[in-house]
Amino acid sequence: MVDPIFDYQFRLILIGDSTVGKSSLLKYFTDGKFAELSDPTVGVDFFARIIEVQDGTRIKLQLWDTAGQERFRSITKSYYRNSVGALLVYDVCNRSSFEHIPLWMMEAKRHIEPHRPVFALVGCKVDLVGTDNKNGARREVTCEEARMFAEENGLHHVETSAKTGLNVEEAFVLVAQEVYNRIQTGEYKVEDGWDGIKTGFNRPNGMDFNLLEAETVQSTCC
Amino acid sequence: MPTSDSEDFESADEGHASPEKKERKKRLSSSNYSDNALETEQKPSNTKIKSENVQKVVEKVKDADGWDDFDIDDGETITPEPAAKSNTPEKTKTKPENVPSIAKDSKKSQDTGWDDFDDWGTEDVSADVQKVDPPKPQPVQSKPITRQPEPNIQEVTDRLAAASTGGSSGWGWGWSVDSLLSSATAGLSSATAGISNITSQVSQGLSTVLETGIGAPDPEELARRTSKDQEARVTKPDNAQKPTAAGDKLTVVGDEQTWPNTGPNDGANAGANAGDAFQFGSLFSGVTKFVETTGTKVIHGGLDTLETIGKKTMEVLQDGDPGLAKKRALLGLGAGDKPVLSQVLREAKAKAEEDDRVREEKREAKEVHYENLFDDFEGLVHLEALEMLSKQVSMRIEERIRSVDADKRQDIKETLQQVAELCEMPEEDEDDEESPSEDLSKSDAFLERLQTATQDLGLKLQFQPLVKQYKEILDYISTVDSETPIKTLYKRGVSTLAQSTALSVEQYHKAAEMLLVKSRRSTADEADALTQMTVVLTKHISELATLFTEKLNALPSDNKEQVNTYITNLFLEAGNSSTYIQNAFQLALPILQIGAV
Repeated sequence: MVDPIFDYQFRLILIGDSTVGKSSLLKYFTDGKFAELSDPTVGVDFFARIIEVQDGTRIKLQLWDTAGQERFRSITKSYYRNSVGALLVYDVCNRSSFEHIPLWMMEAKRHIEPHRPVFALVGCKVDLVGTDNKNGARREVTCEEARMFAEENGLHHVETSAKTGLNVEEAFVLVAQEVYNRIQTGEYKVEDGWDGIKTGFNRPNGMDFNLLEAETVQSTCC
Repeated sequence: MPTSDSEDFESADEGHASPEKKERKKRLSSSNYSDNALETEQKPSNTKIKSENVQKVVEKVKDADGWDDFDIDDGETITPEPAAKSNTPEKTKTKPENVPSIAKDSKKSQDTGWDDFDDWGTEDVSADVQKVDPPKPQPVQSKPITRQPEPNIQEVTDRLAAASTGGSSGWGWGWSVDSLLSSATAGLSSATAGISNITSQVSQGLSTVLETGIGAPDPEELARRTSKDQEARVTKPDNAQKPTAAGDKLTVVGDEQTWPNTGPNDGANAGANAGDAFQFGSLFSGVTKFVETTGTKVIHGGLDTLETIGKKTMEVLQDGDPGLAKKRALLGLGAGDKPVLSQVLREAKAKAEEDDRVREEKREAKEVHYENLFDDFEGLVHLEALEMLSKQVSMRIEERIRSVDADKRQDIKETLQQVAELCEMPEEDEDDEESPSEDLSKSDAFLERLQTATQDLGLKLQFQPLVKQYKEILDYISTVDSETPIKTLYKRGVSTLAQSTALSVEQYHKAAEMLLVKSRRSTADEADALTQMTVVLTKHISELATLFTEKLNALPSDNKEQVNTYITNLFLEAGNSSTYIQNAFQLALPILQIGAV
C-alpha cells in the first residue's frame, strides 16, 4: 500500500501511440516489474507512486496511463485537462511512433489549456537496440534527433527501458522536479477545480507557496 | 585633616539613609528574620558609601575640620538610648579610615572582617570586641609613617571599642557596629600608622583608579607632572616624614583635582623618581590592595544586594500572610493548581494537542481509513475519470438536443427518460431469486452472478480482480481465530470494503469507456445489465460486511463496547460503499443514454 504521507500530488498523463510501452514503463516505475505480455489498455488506467524531489518534498505522482489505440482517442482526450505534466512516449524502434509525437503534443497542449504542462519526451525499449535482430528490432530513432526535437520544443528527453529499468525512474523524477520547480517560482498554483496539483491530505489547509524557500534546481536531460 | 572631611560627607550620606532604615526597623522589629534582613540589607549600602566617599573625598579635601568633633559625636552615640538611632549613620564615618587599613592588612584579616560581618546575627558582640582589642601586628608594608602614633587616632580607636560594646544594645545600628568592628579588626592595627595619612593617600589613589576606569586617561603626562611635584617637594630624606606626608598628600590630592586622569602608576612613578618618598611606595601597594579589596567587596556586595532584595521581597510579601496563602488566593493561584503562567500555558498547549489528537483519531477512524484506502485502491480516480466522461457525454447529449427541432427534441427527452427508468434500482425482493449450486465455491458463485448479470452488456469486463479479492477475503476469514486481535480484523474489514468498492467503481468506469467505443449499441440491454451488475455488487458489499461483523461478534473480547463500535463502523462503511457504487452507476447513465439518441 502507498504510504499516505505526501506533500503534493501531481497528475501526470502518459500519451503516445499504441504499443510503444506506456503501461510497461508505468508498471516498472510503480512495481519494479516488467511484463513480457500485457493487454492493451482500455481507456485509462491508473498508477501511483510517491517520490521525493531534491529538497525532500514528498510528491505523490498519480499517473494516468492512456490507451494508445485509435478507437479510444475520443475518450482519452477527456482525461487530459487535469494533468500538470505529460510524458510523450515513443518507441525507439518504431519510427512512426516518434513521428506522431508532435501530434500528441499538440493534442495535449490543446486540451490542457489554459494550463501549460511540463512535457517530457520519453523513448522506450532501448533494451531492444543492438541486441539481436531476430525480432527485427532496430533503432529507428536516434538519440540525437530526439534530443534535437526536444530542444526545439523545450522538452526534457530521456531514453528508457522498462525491461532493464534504465532511466525509468529518471523520466518521472525529471517531470516531477520540473513541476515542483514551477510551483516554487509561482508559475503553478493549487487551484480549485483543477486537479493537476493537489496538496497532500496531511496538509489539509493547503500551503502558501510564497513562504516556501525558493530553490533553483536545474533538471538535466540525458 | 583630609579624612575628617570624608567622614563628614559619609555621615551626611548615612544620615540620608537612616530614616528609611528606622522605619523598616519599626515595621520589622517583631521577627528575628527581619532583624537579619535588616542587617544584611545594610551591607551593600556600606560598600556603596565607601566607594562614594573615596571619590568625594578628593573634592572636599580642603575643608579640614572637626576630626575630633566627630570623635566626640561618636562617643555620644555610643550611649545606648533610643534617640541614638538618629546618630547611627555617623558611626560609619570610621569606615573610610578603615578601608585603607584593611587594604593594607593581609587578606586573612580582611576575610575575618567579612566573616564577622556575615555572622553578625549569630555571633556575640563581645567576641568581636575581644578580637578588636589586642593590638594587631603591624601591616606588612610598615613604613616610617606608621610608626608615628597619633593621639587622635588613639582616641578614636578607644572610642570605637567603647562604641562597639555599646552598640550591641541596639539593632538599629547593629550593622554599623558590625562593620565598625570588622573594620576595627583591621583598622586598629594600623591605627598607629597614621590612619589619616594613609586614608588620604589611598582615597586619592582610588579616585584616580576610578576615574581612570571611567575617563580617557593620560597617565604618562600626569605621571610626569606628579613626579615633578614630587621632586620639588621631596628634597628631604624620609625621617621628616610626618609633616611632609600630610603636605604631600594634600598636594597630590590637589594634583588629582587638576589631573583627574592620574593612574595608579602615577604613584609608582613618583615612588621610583623619589625613591626616598616611602609613602608613595606604600601608596602604590595600598592602592592596588585597596582596589582589589573594593572589587571583592563590590562583588560580594552586589550578590548580597540581590540576595537581600530577594529576601526582602519575600519578607514583604509574607508580611502578615504566612505561606503567601492569601496572595495566592488573591491571584487565583489556588492550592498548587496552576501556580505559574508557564504552567498554565503548558497545560493549555497539552490540552490543545490532546484535542488535536482526538480530532485526528476521529478523522483517521472516519475518513483516512476508508476514504484514503479507497483512494489508494484507485477507486477515487476511477470515479473521477468516470465523472469526466459522464460530463462530457452529457454535454454532447445536450448539444444534440439543441441541434434538433422541437418535436424531435421531445422524442429524445422521452428516450432519455426511459433509459433512466431502466436504470432505477429494483426493489430488493429477489433475495432468494437464484440459489447457486452447492458445487460452486462462494467466489465462483460470485463470478457467475456477475457474468450472468452482464451477459447482455456486450462487453468483456474483467471481473477477475474482484473475484480474486473475494477469494483472499474468504481465505483470510477462515484463518481468523480467537488469537486475532479485533482491531486487526476490523482494519482488514474496512480495507476490504474500500478495495471491493474501488474495484466495483472501476468496472463502471471500464464499462463506460468500452460502451463509448462500442460500434453497435443496444441501450435497453446495456441498462438492464448494468442495473443487474449494481445489484450483484451492492449485495457483495453487504455480504462482505456481514462476513466481518459476524467474525467480530464471534471473537472473544473483554471490550464489547469496542466491538460494537467496530461493527457499527463496518456497516457504516458498507453503506458508504453501496453509495459509491450507485453513484458510479448513475454517472454511467449518460453513457447509456447517448447510445439511444
